Amino acid sequence: MAKEMIAMLLAGGQGSRLYTLTEKLAKPAVPFGGKYRIIDFPLSNCVNSGIDTVGILTQYQPLVLNEYIGNGQPWDLDRLYGGVHVLPPYQKSSGSDWYKGTANAIYQNISFIERYDPKYVIILSGDQICKQDYSDFLKFHKEKNAEFSVAVMEVPWEEAPRFGLMVADENDKITEFQEKPKNPKSNLASMGIYIFNWDILKKYLEEDEADPNSENDFGNNIIPNLLRDNRQMYAYHFNGYWKDVGTIHSLWEANMEVLDAENSGINLFDESWKIYSRNVGMPGHKISAGAVVENSMVSDGCRIKGNVKHSILFAGVKIEPNAVVEDAVIMGGTTIKSGAVVKHCIIAENVTICENAVVGAMPSGEEDGVATVGSDLFIGENAVVGPNAIVKNNMKGGEEQW
Amino acid sequence: MVKSNTSALGIIFPNSYDAMVPDLVNVRLMASIPFASRYRIIDFILSSMTHSGIGNISVVVNKNYHSLMDHLGSGREWDLVRKNGGLHIFPPFAAKEARPYIGRASALANILDFMRDEKEKYIIMSDTNIVVNFDFNDMLQKHIASGADMSIAYVQRPVPNGLIKAENNGRCFYYTFDVEEDKIKKIYINSKEDGVQNFSMNIFVVNRELLVDLVNNAMLLGQEFFMRDVLIPQINKLDIRGYKYEGYTAFITDMKSYFDENMKLLDDYNLDALFSGSPVYTKIRGDHPTQYVDTAKVQNVMVASGCIIEGQVENSIIFRGVKIAKGATVKNCILMQDTVVEAGANIEYLITDKDVTISAGKEMKGTDTFPVYISKKQTV
Repeated sequence: MAKEMIAMLLAGGQGSRLYTLTEKLAKPAVPFGGKYRIIDFPLSNCVNSGIDTVGILTQYQPLVLNEYIGNGQPWDLDRLYGGVHVLPPYQKSSGSDWYKGTANAIYQNISFIERYDPKYVIILSGDQICKQDYSDFLKFHKEKNAEFSVAVMEVPWEEAPRFGLMVADENDKITEFQEKPKNPKSNLASMGIYIFNWDILKKYLEEDEADPNSENDFGNNIIPNLLRDNRQMYAYHFNGYWKDVGTIHSLWEANMEVLDAENSGINLFDESWKIYSRNVGMPGHKISAGAVVENSMVSDGCRIKGNVKHSILFAGVKIEPNAVVEDAVIMGGTTIKSGAVVKHCIIAENVTICENAVVGAMPSGEEDGVATVGSDLFIGENAVVGPNAIVKNNMKGGEEQW
Repeated sequence: MVKSNTSALGIIFPNSYDAMVPDLVNVRLMASIPFASRYRIIDFILSSMTHSGIGNISVVVNKNYHSLMDHLGSGREWDLVRKNGGLHIFPPFAAKEARPYIGRASALANILDFMRDEKEKYIIMSDTNIVVNFDFNDMLQKHIASGADMSIAYVQRPVPNGLIKAENNGRCFYYTFDVEEDKIKKIYINSKEDGVQNFSMNIFVVNRELLVDLVNNAMLLGQEFFMRDVLIPQINKLDIRGYKYEGYTAFITDMKSYFDENMKLLDDYNLDALFSGSPVYTKIRGDHPTQYVDTAKVQNVMVASGCIIEGQVENSIIFRGVKIAKGATVKNCILMQDTVVEAGANIEYLITDKDVTISAGKEMKGTDTFPVYISKKQTV
């Protein structure tokens, strides 16, 4: 039985610009928005778009991600035929290879794709926060009679040189591709989300694999090769919320945008496009007398006795009396003890911030660094974490890091 | 092959004591009454059984059980989708002589064949009017070590008020024990004794083959109530032990106790006592985290996920998906799933069932001793 379209989700990225946050887990497994992980977005988009077969290509630190995906049940992807499959590199009779590039990762799983005999394959990225209807994208692809389509976002011209850009004509047909050009001819940035006709993709993957000089990358190799051959290539305009959360600052910013759904467009409350996640199973959160909670998102199992403003608290966070939390992203199981001041920062899972410690600071002037504390750390009493610091090790009482 | 990790299977009676809370069970049964901001009462017993290694659990439903079936689904959330064992729901067998059960003995008679065919050596039985994080394994091990025929859990406390007041309706029995050196010497029905009693939790561990015999006899004699009709007459013949339980318990015996037992969880001491044991599982709705906007003012509340809080909330238990609009004031309330409190409404001592709407500007107040209950889907 053939599937019309299956999804291949690239989730092997190390996310090195998230530093300590991705030391122990792959970027798609990074927690987001109070109860989600980044990968919940593409997975939920798939299910909401009617895609029931997803291959997840993992490579870097897959343990947390594998456990999180499990059998795919939270996303309704535990299916008899199809469903979610985690696809790490594996050993073959002729030797084994790590995934050398994005295209090689798909190449190594051609046999997985062929089991479903799909007409189309959508390539997704596991490190973006985006609510997107892929069925609308597919409709566009079919209407254009395309062999390859790429989702693009209009970006401000001055930022265009940071992106891979698609130059397209008035019919959205792609005529040129510029990777981070000095002189952009277009402001249509590739979102790294592609739909291919499977026969075309397979042909180009095989050709690319045969080329010893190739980097085996979609942007650098496959797309230029398609252009070279004048394939039917189209750019699909996407106008919704999209954010590459590749840096500490952009991850923090995206979390803060969740608190301002009206202006940012990342509405997690939308019942018609639910984002699913694996539940932690804790009782409701508790806000004590004397606590202040304003403009914040709070998850199950939290205990709040201090002051929380404009922050995101993940499951099981404890805020003790007289602690102050502002503009902060506090991940699951972390405790902020009495008198600690935690501002404009990301604190990863299961951290203890001891009495009267200071983490981060509100921006002043040009300075708007996001202080970051890695998971499972202990920040001692009166310790100070400066606004640009990225803490990777325990800090003793009174210690300072800037 | 034994179907669970322990040598016991579980049987749950979700309709027991329904008559004590007629309003709350109008559209459901005792087991599916919402409790503690995101749970149904059965979640506590069911999760406790799962954590005690019991993987073969039967729920013997009687009436009003649609909400429970919806809640339990396949049993996945409690890890009860098992190849062997897992979750069974036993509705009444609709033969022409069938009638709803009144007591535990007649309910068990309905599943006699099932009990006969299972392989586990012991059966653990429980009602669902108790909120408890119970270690069934500990009770089972003590029972096995004692070599007794049966063990029944009890707590030392005064009889709950709701039961004392309701005893005349003739349907709801409660039991207190004389216990000597762990042996239950005498069982009293609906005792009016003041003060601390050995109050039965109606949690039993019993040897399966013995239970099959007892229920078979009871069926032949037309007996309804296991404790009243089967155990009391044979109290000297059977070796029945008492298992004193000292953990946190909440008995739901009337609307007042339902209100009070919810509110008690606003005290961290009680909350920790109930939840510090093994985790309590429930049906997952997939709500977003709860959002508090800048006009929100909250003090001493327990709130589940999926809520949007814009108004003022104090001393309240808020279930999933509740919306409290700007300028609304909520004090000492229990708001069940998806309750909407519109702008400027002012409510106090209210229990709103699922999908209730309190219209803009409305004022409504119950009292400490008599919280007002608003039934499912009503708009005030």
